Amino acid sequence: MANYTLTVNGKDHHVEVDRDTPLLWVIRDTMKMYGTKYGCGIAQCGACTVHVDGTPIRSCCVPIEKLQGKNIITIEGLSQDGSHPVQMAWKEIDVPQCGYCQTGQIMTAAALLERIPSPTDEEINRAMKGNLCRCGTYPRIKKAIHEAAKLKQS
Amino acid sequence: MMTTRRNFLKVSALAGGGLAMAVSLPGTSAMLANDDISSFDLGAFLNIDTKGNITFLLTKHEMGQGSGTGLPMIIADELGADWSKITLKRSDYDPKFDSRLMGTTGGSGTVAKMWEPLREAGAAVREMLKSAAAARWNVSPDTLTTDNSFVVSPNGEKLEFGELAEEAARLNIPKEVKLKDISEFKYIGKPVKNLITNDVVMGKGNYGINVDIEGMVYAAIQRCPVYKGKLVSFDDTEARKVNGVIDVVPVPHLDLDLEGQYVAEGVAVIATSTWSAFKARKQLKIEWDYGKNGSRDIETYKKEMSESKMQHAYSKGDFDKQSVEEGFELVEAEYDNPYEAHALMEPINATAHFNGDSCEVWVGTQSGERVAQAVMKATGLPQEKITVHVLNSGGSFGRRYYPDSSIEASYLSKVLSKPVKLTWSREDEIMHDYFHPYQRSRHKAIISPEGKVTGWYAGLIRAEDYMEGLTRWEIPYFFDTIKTESSVIEGMVHVGAWRSVGPHSSSLGKECFMDELALRLNKDPLDFRLEMLQGEITQEGNDDFAKVVVSYRKVLQERYIAVLNTIKEKGLWTAPKKGEGRGIAIENFSRTVCAHIVDVSIDNSYNGFKVNKVTSVVHCGTVVNPHFGRGQIEGGVIWALSAAMYGGIEVKNGVVQRDNFHDNLLLRIDETPEIDVHFVESTEPPSGLGEPGTPPLAPALLNALYNATGKRIRKIPVRREDLLNATA
Repeated sequence: MANYTLTVNGKDHHVEVDRDTPLLWVIRDTMKMYGTKYGCGIAQCGACTVHVDGTPIRSCCVPIEKLQGKNIITIEGLSQDGSHPVQMAWKEIDVPQCGYCQTGQIMTAAALLERIPSPTDEEINRAMKGNLCRCGTYPRIKKAIHEAAKLKQS
Repeated sequence: MMTTRRNFLKVSALAGGGLAMAVSLPGTSAMLANDDISSFDLGAFLNIDTKGNITFLLTKHEMGQGSGTGLPMIIADELGADWSKITLKRSDYDPKFDSRLMGTTGGSGTVAKMWEPLREAGAAVREMLKSAAAARWNVSPDTLTTDNSFVVSPNGEKLEFGELAEEAARLNIPKEVKLKDISEFKYIGKPVKNLITNDVVMGKGNYGINVDIEGMVYAAIQRCPVYKGKLVSFDDTEARKVNGVIDVVPVPHLDLDLEGQYVAEGVAVIATSTWSAFKARKQLKIEWDYGKNGSRDIETYKKEMSESKMQHAYSKGDFDKQSVEEGFELVEAEYDNPYEAHALMEPINATAHFNGDSCEVWVGTQSGERVAQAVMKATGLPQEKITVHVLNSGGSFGRRYYPDSSIEASYLSKVLSKPVKLTWSREDEIMHDYFHPYQRSRHKAIISPEGKVTGWYAGLIRAEDYMEGLTRWEIPYFFDTIKTESSVIEGMVHVGAWRSVGPHSSSLGKECFMDELALRLNKDPLDFRLEMLQGEITQEGNDDFAKVVVSYRKVLQERYIAVLNTIKEKGLWTAPKKGEGRGIAIENFSRTVCAHIVDVSIDNSYNGFKVNKVTSVVHCGTVVNPHFGRGQIEGGVIWALSAAMYGGIEVKNGVVQRDNFHDNLLLRIDETPEIDVHFVESTEPPSGLGEPGTPPLAPALLNALYNATGKRIRKIPVRREDLLNATA
């Protein structure tokens, strides 16, 4: 066990965990923030996606020791009130069914729009194909990303 | 006019003012006949307080199907309520709930079964609010209407529901109520937004896996990899060296004698975090006795199927005699529909707190009732000492109907005398799933010298099953002779309900064979189906069940024909685009009928094809929420396409050969075809949408592949080598 300081959603958190502990489990079990989901543990489903210095990463596969000094944003930090354009678009299109994967989808989509403000279907497919949804909300996710791009520009 | 089942409604004053309506929704005719229904009371499910806030108690499980929004929409419309005044309250499981209607969620039946009772209850409360206003204004209640949570008089006077709730609560429940005409609905039929969405997009979704109880420890279980295998011994020396490990305890054979239930033997690691428990379980050294399943695999299983002896199930006329008549031709084909995993996004979990003389469980479950029964047995406590908190699920599709994780968690909590949060890893969720059972369908048909299909045979060989049902045998088409047989093989993995259950299994063979017969007779596959749907449904037997079956079959006949005619009228069944193949299939799940038209093109991908478009036509009666309805059909298509492209569980020496999303592949966004959903216009009661989108997809795909290549594939999943090896 060792002590680490993590910057999550702009706040420093001091935690004592094993150095190989994946960020996901620190966020969930230690910090008790449950918006970031466990899905596979091997970076295959995207349910655990968070931003590290603006880049979407699968938090289930990144050990905490590699995250010192990095700026981590989780779904709880994307906006205070659900007003991020991607969240607004998700509400407008009413994307979720069970909703479990959606926080990961939203984090990946938010990072995509930072990189490509107005992505094509092809670019959306490329960015989003790492995020699984078992309910099959993909058609709505695609629609919502286009909607978010519009909201962001207006 | 509709007579209210007054016995099942009870209105009382709400503490602090307002109106509380209790309703008991009887599930069986025996209960209907029972006047004394006090034992079925479930407490207030609809409250209106003096400020006009309306609280709806949700007893159904929310797992992505939208019940938590669809049900209050129904009651809001009958009441004439302002949607923004409605708050949802989630109910813990209560033994007073009638299991079929309220305590269990499944079979695509939530809206279908609650439709009428909720409308009656809403209408009764509406009439009472109107009567209360009528008394104040000294007019006849019949002259009044409700809108936007107000009772409105003809000259425009208005009283808000909250102002009337106390007076209304003192009135008698009307003997008869008139349900609204469909044209009066403000919410039903509209894409009202899902009430869970705001929480979901903020990361506040209320899932079982997010439960956090003070003082809880985290558990992970290493289970015997072979079905019904035994734990012989284990060495936990290395596991206990992992930081955070608190204890290691065996999970013995928990024979709870509950139908369809199985809990694997294993060894549990108890730790201060999920990660510690996951890490430490890998250090366990365990000796198992695999038993006879340890030498079975899919190949030996297929051999068992081929050699199995068929048992007679049902017959009409003499199929065997007709099949050898002069000039009659017998054709046959065999289709395989393999074991499938659920692969739910939220891995299975449960949290339990055994307190010595009581036990609380927190779990996403389709059946609080089954959880309560299972925890009773696992802990030895009486039912009244068990509380089941039902949380939302990150997908369920039949899997969370089974309380196995609640059994494990409550057992461990009892052994450890601590609250225990049990999380299955993704590997556990796939390897120890309650798999969709393997089914082989053997079909035969008799073709008369005039080129008419006169006889139909279905021989269904399937894995040891959790349900025997008509759904596997149902055939909407008419034949002079029918013969059905079945054979059940002892399962090599545990099986359970999987989105659409029997119809997914049986539709593959049935609807592909219909396609084969149509093409053999040089008929258009859609017209051939329409032709075979013409006939008179006759009652077989004289009991109540026979009458129910006749009316059910008549509804289905009408709906099959309506769906196919809608496809023709809308011009959806035309020649495929150049370079594409097009196939059709139709199936019902309960009273909902769904047809898919699948467009494919052939390529060099892993599967050897690409699905470009799926066009769906659905008859489900009234569509309560078209946004959810379309979503369920899209979801059902994507679910079935995952199975058709990547499904099928391989088993070697009794061990499931997949364990995560790298080998149990699911459809991703870039593989998802355009999906165009049409609903047949109807004012009939809703008949369910969660499952009907799944069954006809795989046969429509195989029929489209035949159309594209001239090669007949008779199994799923389909890979490139299947297309290369198939014969024309």
